[in-house]
Amino acid sequence: MLSESMVLVFGYVVGFYMSWNIGANDVANSMASAVGAKAITIRQAIFIAGILNCVGATFIGAQVTNTIRKGIVSTDVLSDPHLALIGAFSALLAAALWVSFATWKSLPVSTTHSIVGAMIGFGIMAGGFTVINWGKLGAVVASWVISPIFSLIISWSMFKIIVKFILRKRDALRWALRLSPIFIGLTVFVVVLSFLFKTPLGKTLSLGTPVAIAIAAIVGALIGLLGQRLLIRFVPKDESGTEEVFRKIQIGTSCYVALAQGANDVANAIGPLAVIYFLVKTGTVGAKVPVPLFLLLFGGIGIACGIGMAGHRVMDTIGNKITTLTNTRGFAVDFAAATTVLIASKMGLPVSTTHAAVGGVMGVGLARGIEAVNFRILYKIVLYWVLTVPAAALTSMVVFKLLEIFM
Amino acid sequence: MRIPFLSLFVTSPFEGLLEHAEKVKECAWAFQQAIECHVSDRCRQFEELRREVSKLENQADNIKRRIRGHLPIGTLMPVSKFQLFRYLREQDQVMDAVKDALNWISYRSEPGIPAELEKYVFLLVDAAVEPLEELSLMVAGAKSYFETYSEKQRVAVKEIISKVRAQEHAADKAEAEIKRQVFNMDIDPVTVFHMVRLAETIGSIADHAENAGDMMRAMLAR
Repeated sequence: MLSESMVLVFGYVVGFYMSWNIGANDVANSMASAVGAKAITIRQAIFIAGILNCVGATFIGAQVTNTIRKGIVSTDVLSDPHLALIGAFSALLAAALWVSFATWKSLPVSTTHSIVGAMIGFGIMAGGFTVINWGKLGAVVASWVISPIFSLIISWSMFKIIVKFILRKRDALRWALRLSPIFIGLTVFVVVLSFLFKTPLGKTLSLGTPVAIAIAAIVGALIGLLGQRLLIRFVPKDESGTEEVFRKIQIGTSCYVALAQGANDVANAIGPLAVIYFLVKTGTVGAKVPVPLFLLLFGGIGIACGIGMAGHRVMDTIGNKITTLTNTRGFAVDFAAATTVLIASKMGLPVSTTHAAVGGVMGVGLARGIEAVNFRILYKIVLYWVLTVPAAALTSMVVFKLLEIFM
Repeated sequence: MRIPFLSLFVTSPFEGLLEHAEKVKECAWAFQQAIECHVSDRCRQFEELRREVSKLENQADNIKRRIRGHLPIGTLMPVSKFQLFRYLREQDQVMDAVKDALNWISYRSEPGIPAELEKYVFLLVDAAVEPLEELSLMVAGAKSYFETYSEKQRVAVKEIISKVRAQEHAADKAEAEIKRQVFNMDIDPVTVFHMVRLAETIGSIADHAENAGDMMRAMLAR
């Protein structure tokens, strides 16, 4: 048996490695449309993504996390603290290893799906197949299918609306400016709502749903109108103006995606780490553990480090390759992806930012917005998504066996 | 690097289409020079210009193949893949017709075009060449339309299309005039055959340009 502090240090290292991976890999998906549409530069993208992922992770990230993500595995396996400790370690390590392997091999996997798979692997090792809640697992799997479709529908509608009410008009710029409060307001509305429902600050205010919606609507309207004034002032009054309006709005939406991503993904790394932390500190662990703020901050910093170190290369590729995405399209994609992720995390479903972003691009493609989109990538994504869970589960099983020998 | 997001984006076929249209435009200039040279008495450059057109046509063929070969199954575009390919085919046939016309002249470079017909040949060539220059404008305009969805842009492209159609009509008239004249002239039947076929080939340049315009119109339909 290792000493307590050793276990904790080891836990931090692995947790950091996992959150680093999340940052390095998923930053591409949140910032891709903004960088591709040249709304922000690569440097700005890294800066925004780093800071806001950190902020999102710390302040919107789940303060109380289910020890086993979303109850896919019965908590019976946690009754033996020693076994639970090994389990949390093997899940975290296996997910991180699998994501690293995927990064190396250029496979489109999701960090969220990896951690879910790794948890299942640990559950099977610790308690056999009976501890797996297949119904819950089915619901989670369904959410993976639903999230890209949901995102697709939002971005499709958003782009159709932009085309119908702005682009097709004779004086497109005037319409873009006139309707800008709606686009800005909607974005702000969703952000404020998620703040009110999900953050500790919002929870202490303990507002009812109608009040929260009213507040979000008012704040959205105010910021929307303020944004309109600024746009009227700063946007050039010529042909390029319409895209310019959305370029400015897109700076806002990419912040929104980064925030949503931080909030959503930090639990993938910090959930298991919190279990380790509590087992070491208190010796037991229940179905839920409160996650201390510093752990969330730790995860956020890990994500930011990943973005800072690996982000540049990713963004560079994106900026050069995605040339057909303009600001109106980028806005539709960003808005759809972030809204999907925020709604899903509100409902407690572990969805992947990657898939939400992919769904968003497809929506715009279906609305005839992009010069050429390859739909066949869907099959590939589905394939790797099906493979990720068993692969991460197997890795987790092997790691579990190894750790059982040493710990 | 794991970027599933990236693999969503395929190189836009419109880039290639524009490149192809630029080749057509370059070819138009060489074609006009070649005809003028052939009609004038002291022509030395004809063979050179004909080879130039052949070379351009070959390059355009490569572009065409590149566009066709690099649109994976399941690619979604603002226009249907078949419309795009139909359009590309017409635009390519424009070049083929230009090349055929020059080749046809080279098969029988003497005694040349009868002096009485020169005027009509120039009329026909002018009417056939103008649409070639419009094609690249048309493609560029369409590309911009699919980016902005601006009604203004759409109208501009539609105007170019109707211009091409008017030019085709002018070419038709000139072609008919050449035929009518040549059959009423007292010349040897081989020259008659050579002239009729030449007029038809040059006329088909404008025909294919018009067809390309019609396909473009179909792509622009809302």
